[in-house]
Amino acid sequence: MGLIYALVAAGLSLIFGLMDVVNFAHGELLMLAMFAVFVLRGVSGADPLLLMPVVALLLFGAGMAIYRGLIARALSVQFNRGMVQIFVTFGLAIFLRGAAQFAFGGEFKSVTGHWLADRSVNLAGVFLPLPQLAAGVVCLLAFAALLAVSRTEFGRALEATREDREAVALIGIDRDRIFALGWALGCATVGIAGAMLAGFYYVNPNVGTSFALIAYVTVALGGFGSMLGALVAGILIGEVEAVTAALFEPAWKQIGVFGIYLVVLMVRPRGLFGKL
Amino acid sequence: MNRRTLMLSAGALALSARAARAAEEVVIGLVYPLTGNGAQVGLDAKVAYELAADLINGAAPPIDTLMAKGGGLDRLGGAKVKLVFADSQNDPQKARAEAERLITQEKTVAIIGSYTSATAATISQVTERYEIPYISADNSSPSLTQRGLKWFFRPGPHDEMFTKAMFDFYKDIAAKTGRPVKSVSLFYENSIFGTDSAGVQRRMAQEAGIAVAADIKYVANSPSLSTEAQKLKSANGDVLMPSSYTSDAILIMRAMNEIGYRPKAVMAQAAGFQEPAFVSGAGALAEGVMSRSSFAPDAVKLRPAIPAVNAAYKARNNKDMNDNTSRQFTALMFLADAINRAGSIKNTALQAALKASDVPGASLIMPWKGIKFDENGQNTLSNPVIVQLGGGTWHTVWPFDLAATEAVWNVGT
Amino acid sequence: MENGILARRRRELITGAVVLAALAVLPLPIADVYTRNLIIITLLFAGLAQAWNILGGYCGQISLGHALYFGAGAYVATLLFVNAGFPPLIGMFVGGAVGGLLALLVGWPCFRLSGHYYAIATVVVGEIGYLLFLNWDYVGGATGVYVPFKGDSWLALQFKTQKLPYHYVTLAFAAAAWFAAWLIEGSRWGFAWRAVRDDVVAARSLGVRVFASKMAAAAISGFFTGLGGAIFAQYVGYIDPESVLGGQFSILIALPAVLGGVGTLWGPVVGAAVLMPVSELSRSYLGGSGRGFDLMLYGALIVVVALARPQGLVSLLGRRRERARAA
Repeated sequence: MGLIYALVAAGLSLIFGLMDVVNFAHGELLMLAMFAVFVLRGVSGADPLLLMPVVALLLFGAGMAIYRGLIARALSVQFNRGMVQIFVTFGLAIFLRGAAQFAFGGEFKSVTGHWLADRSVNLAGVFLPLPQLAAGVVCLLAFAALLAVSRTEFGRALEATREDREAVALIGIDRDRIFALGWALGCATVGIAGAMLAGFYYVNPNVGTSFALIAYVTVALGGFGSMLGALVAGILIGEVEAVTAALFEPAWKQIGVFGIYLVVLMVRPRGLFGKL
Repeated sequence: MNRRTLMLSAGALALSARAARAAEEVVIGLVYPLTGNGAQVGLDAKVAYELAADLINGAAPPIDTLMAKGGGLDRLGGAKVKLVFADSQNDPQKARAEAERLITQEKTVAIIGSYTSATAATISQVTERYEIPYISADNSSPSLTQRGLKWFFRPGPHDEMFTKAMFDFYKDIAAKTGRPVKSVSLFYENSIFGTDSAGVQRRMAQEAGIAVAADIKYVANSPSLSTEAQKLKSANGDVLMPSSYTSDAILIMRAMNEIGYRPKAVMAQAAGFQEPAFVSGAGALAEGVMSRSSFAPDAVKLRPAIPAVNAAYKARNNKDMNDNTSRQFTALMFLADAINRAGSIKNTALQAALKASDVPGASLIMPWKGIKFDENGQNTLSNPVIVQLGGGTWHTVWPFDLAATEAVWNVGT
Repeated sequence: MENGILARRRRELITGAVVLAALAVLPLPIADVYTRNLIIITLLFAGLAQAWNILGGYCGQISLGHALYFGAGAYVATLLFVNAGFPPLIGMFVGGAVGGLLALLVGWPCFRLSGHYYAIATVVVGEIGYLLFLNWDYVGGATGVYVPFKGDSWLALQFKTQKLPYHYVTLAFAAAAWFAAWLIEGSRWGFAWRAVRDDVVAARSLGVRVFASKMAAAAISGFFTGLGGAIFAQYVGYIDPESVLGGQFSILIALPAVLGGVGTLWGPVVGAAVLMPVSELSRSYLGGSGRGFDLMLYGALIVVVALARPQGLVSLLGRRRERARAA
């Protein structure tokens, strides 16, 4: 579970760190990805695992469109930019939820019958369910890919744009293009997470909200913009959740997570891996 | 004060107008979550209510059950029933505002609602203040009928009655098979529904001398329930007794399966477990799950009208009637019957007719003995049943004289 | 220069008084209960958004956890009434005080964080409050608290079907929050807070005590939010953690201020006057279709307004006035 949190958060962190935008529609993008799997599976009958690249591509496009249509405009406003960003994405979240209900109805749907479903391997008494196991592996791969991307020229351009927006323009980097790609990449990451999640979770217009909060906490805990931070924080949160639930009442497990988060922030106000 | 006199005079005006125009409409308000969380339940409810209204008004082919012969309300000159729906978004404040709007703007003679108990709490306060009957079709929290409200009527059973049925079933099945329940695991969401339900279960288990192996409260709509499943596994009670809505119901069944745990028996407090989405979402994992229910879909011998009503419903919504939709259907039919008996839409006449209700069970599609209220507006004759999932459909397995199928009982094996 | 500012402030006060008088007589010709309910909710949110604006707008600290103060006010006033028979008319000030104290308590650790870190931390603190109340049996846990109805009474803020008293209570609340903001605008505090918002480093070098400024803004903001919560609880007659402490509520409190115009006197009022009717009406007349139209419309409206009018709707009024003056 920690790895899924990490991956959901990674996309958020990318967008966050890159252009200082809190994307409050992040959970809804996850929901869209899950619905995309559901629909594509209904149409093609292909396994969710195979659909993953398609969904990632779709979300890549969606991210690009959202950036060009809304975020670029939100970034260019002259007056209280921070709040405009928050509330543009918040409005987008409400809109997407309504649109999903319009298109798919409020019913709980499940992607069923793919070849990993409901199977698990028994490793010396520890049961590892295959869908989660596969999700974990894919998450690690996706992280490896994200880290690899950050080593390429594009990655360095991203880094540079993050560091100093004005200076990069001087050396001929198109800020707008980089930002759009960053958004698209962040959304594609969510697409992968959504595709994996759809394999063993239910799909519903409101599904995103329960993950979104955890994602914000993960990002803040790991430090905005830090991929490694998101990974470590995601796993940490998964573990804290399990330990609190095992030691105390399960109803308290989120309090445990939030508590740890607040304690860490007191010590490191910019998260575990944030730049001070 | 002036607001109320205005209201009353508006009512009186409508009353005198009714004499003039014979086949007038009787407006009934319905408050349900139609968007947001729980929207699907509201949308299904809408179909059930529209079917009931069409049957009353004669817009659908007549069926031989209470008020379903068409022709409107015959003692009100064949007046038609008109439904007005309002969206509560499952938010108590919005439910309150919508109930108020329905009463004052749409001039509804009564309100039916509302799925969750939190919204029923605020709606019933509004109806109490405006002195309009509230028919609680599907709210099952016992606390609702313990507030001494005078305009609150619940034809269906509440959770205490439901839970009692579960423990009665344990007793009966033990006598029949010789394999009693020694321990139960409680698993419930921390909402008004979950905590009330578990509270009663805890008490009744104690009274029946059954150990509570696990007592797990969890946060509704959690992203993951795997640690909860782990706790259930290590406690391993004879029967798992969950109180959850749809999303968590699917999730816990999957989470238990993922760690290789299959409880010997699952006895659900209906809710999410009775939704079609649960049956399709949990698939094979749902087989053998038992639930309390107020509806016995296969009690056809006892209630011959069920197949016709269910077929009409299925034709409109492409799914079978379940615990919720059957109660909603029955609530409107019963209300229409009460309005008809009152012979008037005046609030006090309707209240008196509701209080005097003594509807025989045979005229309903429910397996109940009938509808007769105690002083708190709770129907005392609505006996629940226990149903079990087999081959993707629900079969009544208790009371044994109603059961069409034998219960699959793995406890003690 | 000095005179210009004073004149402007006097003009604003006069405008405020005129609007107050207009709102006081507004419900009299409206007999319809639903419309009155709408006005009451709008006034309540105008007050709440103004409270948020004091911290978020003037002092620049974007709090997304105001539901905590709101819920605390609602619970304190209600429990005092239910368990101790303490009249809500007085109890709501206790609720407000608790809201303010909580804001200080939250502010003490969180004001060390900056920017988005602060915003996310307030979300989390709000969520912790929600979970605590949900699992706390003394305050009714998930079951919530019913306010028993004991007949019409100003002391208990209970009225059977009358709306007018609630109208005046919420109007007084909104007016008080507005007046507080007006006082702040002209005071030394107001200048200090705006300096903190615009540039922390520069503010500090000017001798502004940054942390103390934030704490003061938080306390005032929390007080009014708690007060609003207490009024809301008496109006609705039933509270549970979901409806008064939920995370969505924090956003609902901030939204009118942001769309109306942050850091302005009239922004929260204008924002509430536009947003609340749209939200209520779209639900009542489109929500019945059950297809999510209302959510789409509401979401699209927020996006469009935020993009087209980043300085808030209130700037539309201001510009016309400027143009009139120029002409």
